[in-house]
Amino acid sequence: MAGSRRVIALVLLGLAAGPGASWAQAQTPPEDDPFAGFDEEWDDPWATEDQGLRWTGFVEGGLGARNSDVAGLDRLTLGELRVRAETRYDHADFQVEFKGDLVWDEVIDSLETELRELSVAFRPLASVDAKVGRQVLTWGTGDLLFLNDLFPKDFISFFAGRDEDYLKLPSDAARVSVFTDLVNLDLAWMPRFEPDGYLYGERFAFWNPAAGAVVAPQPPRRADTPDTYELALRLFRTVGPIEYAAYGYTGRWKQPVGLDAQGLPRFPRLRTFGASVRRPLYRGLFNAEFAWYDSRDDRDGTDPATPNSELRLLAGYEQELVRNLTAGTQFYVERIQHHDRLLANSPDPARERERWRTVVTLRLTHRALQEKLTSSLFVFASPTESDYYLRPSVAWRRDDRWLFTGGFNVFGGSEEHTFFGQLEDNSNAWLRVRYHY
Amino acid sequence: MKYLQLIGLSIFALALSPGARAEPLTDAKEIVARANLASYYNGDDGRSEARMAIEDAQGRRQLRQFTILRRDHADGGDQDFMVFFSRPSDVRGTVFLVAKHVDRDDDRWLYLPGLDLVRRISAGDKRTSFVGSNFFYEDVSGRHPEADEHTLVETTAEHYVLESRPKDPGAVEFDRYVTRIDRNTFLPMRTEYYDDRDRVYRLMEVLAVEEIGGYPTVTRSRMSAPLDGGNTLMEFRYIEYDVGLPADIFSERYLRSPPVDWLRRSGE
Repeated sequence: MAGSRRVIALVLLGLAAGPGASWAQAQTPPEDDPFAGFDEEWDDPWATEDQGLRWTGFVEGGLGARNSDVAGLDRLTLGELRVRAETRYDHADFQVEFKGDLVWDEVIDSLETELRELSVAFRPLASVDAKVGRQVLTWGTGDLLFLNDLFPKDFISFFAGRDEDYLKLPSDAARVSVFTDLVNLDLAWMPRFEPDGYLYGERFAFWNPAAGAVVAPQPPRRADTPDTYELALRLFRTVGPIEYAAYGYTGRWKQPVGLDAQGLPRFPRLRTFGASVRRPLYRGLFNAEFAWYDSRDDRDGTDPATPNSELRLLAGYEQELVRNLTAGTQFYVERIQHHDRLLANSPDPARERERWRTVVTLRLTHRALQEKLTSSLFVFASPTESDYYLRPSVAWRRDDRWLFTGGFNVFGGSEEHTFFGQLEDNSNAWLRVRYHY
Repeated sequence: MKYLQLIGLSIFALALSPGARAEPLTDAKEIVARANLASYYNGDDGRSEARMAIEDAQGRRQLRQFTILRRDHADGGDQDFMVFFSRPSDVRGTVFLVAKHVDRDDDRWLYLPGLDLVRRISAGDKRTSFVGSNFFYEDVSGRHPEADEHTLVETTAEHYVLESRPKDPGAVEFDRYVTRIDRNTFLPMRTEYYDDRDRVYRLMEVLAVEEIGGYPTVTRSRMSAPLDGGNTLMEFRYIEYDVGLPADIFSERYLRSPPVDWLRRSGE
């Protein structure tokens, strides 16, 4: 383990030291043609499909560590060497897309393969698009807040400082989109329920109500995933500059927020519907969204082992403040439907959520050096739970090949059972070096 | 008799090159309006492949390659643009959709394939770098002719020389700019942007013009930053006009699934 850690550190060093050396070679194309070696197809107007598959991707090393000791957990929160490969095959009648990662993950001490995408897209009718296979799905108007998007998210990656792309987990899905003059429809059917990448004891500690403390359960154990389908739909339409959408979902809570008869975590049934609007306003963009979470296993709200139904509301506004500096803010609330019954039936009413949970977010993004240096700060703060989560980061895109990124995940709060407060011991710093090929 | 022949020849010559011999225009507004049409509104729609070589002050070079689809609602009026990036690999599959409006802020969307996310971008400053290059968004989609006060300062044998000053100086980074517009094609061939100390800090030069489908078209141009160093060379190829792009191409549907038939070069 210590040996392979040294290897990762060496590779990181190598990656960091590399650009100068390799750039010297890349920098000597003939002076009169800045595009030399860029695209061999460009100069051949007759070049057609038979070029074979074009592979692209990156190699990335990442390191991250927490700032406090947690029993049973390593200091290392991110320690990996990742190789991404992507390709695409365009046929006149269909397109195949592949994205896959091979990762040495030092934290769990294993070599993993992750298939991010393997899908076939085709057009069965002129007004219908279909995409079948493993794919990443996203909709909704929130910025890092998801109301009607119940596609799986990987919070472990998010908290560990992996690229924001990894917040979204792929789904094995059949997606059908129907486009009409009146309204468009997206329908996604997932034959097998895919939960979030939730905290379960690997890498991060969290509030454990049974233990009455913040712990990382050892050995880490995931809840059993029910063998059921998920169905998500969206109706959407853009009228001039205004985007309207309505959503529905039937499946499960994406995290094991319920307990079964043996007291083991389970995924209770969930149905949601909602709507959103996004439009220009003043000198920026305004969005609003709501979602009703119908907790089908506890509609009365009397079962302490199953979450209550909830209403979720979001309003957001984004604007460029000055040249190259953009600010976005969101106001988000969750309201528990039968809060009185929740308290009446709870084994630990003092630590139950308030009826209302509010979260305010702020995102600041600054671009400099012709967009090569991007600094960003994302703040989540909950006035009702007195907790927060800060995500400052800096990304330096040195050139088309090299990307250096670093940042912090800082959690805190006055109580240890709240949403962000429970994550306080997981605060960490991370650094990534990526080489695109 | 000889005189008659000469006169006949002269008339013939005049007919062949009406622009060169025609009475020069004197109205700066009209020249700018025609330059706007010649630069951004050829045909009713168009497709083109483009690439940029971005060189910073240290001589480091980056490249961008993309395909642009454009459709006009009216000449000199609203337009839709779609930009499909194919290079470098970290932006491959990224698509940029712009609904350009003459009377209000543009609507802009960005599709990020890694997240399958259609992100709306706030209208914002159009005078910021277009994908890391020395060109601004406004250079690519066109600056509103009404945004500046234009004066015709000189008419040479080949060019109209115009000086333009912003009506809202607080909204832009330049103090004034001087444009040399070709009298025949109405294409701006060289634009110098002056800062408040009267230095040229931004310079656009057209390096090649080709006639495509009857429209003189800039196929190679350079935007440079003489004070800071660094420049961007932009090339267009495989340009076609009036290809018959359907209006619905410029929508969320085609952000997620690119219209491959329209992205392909003709004959392929």
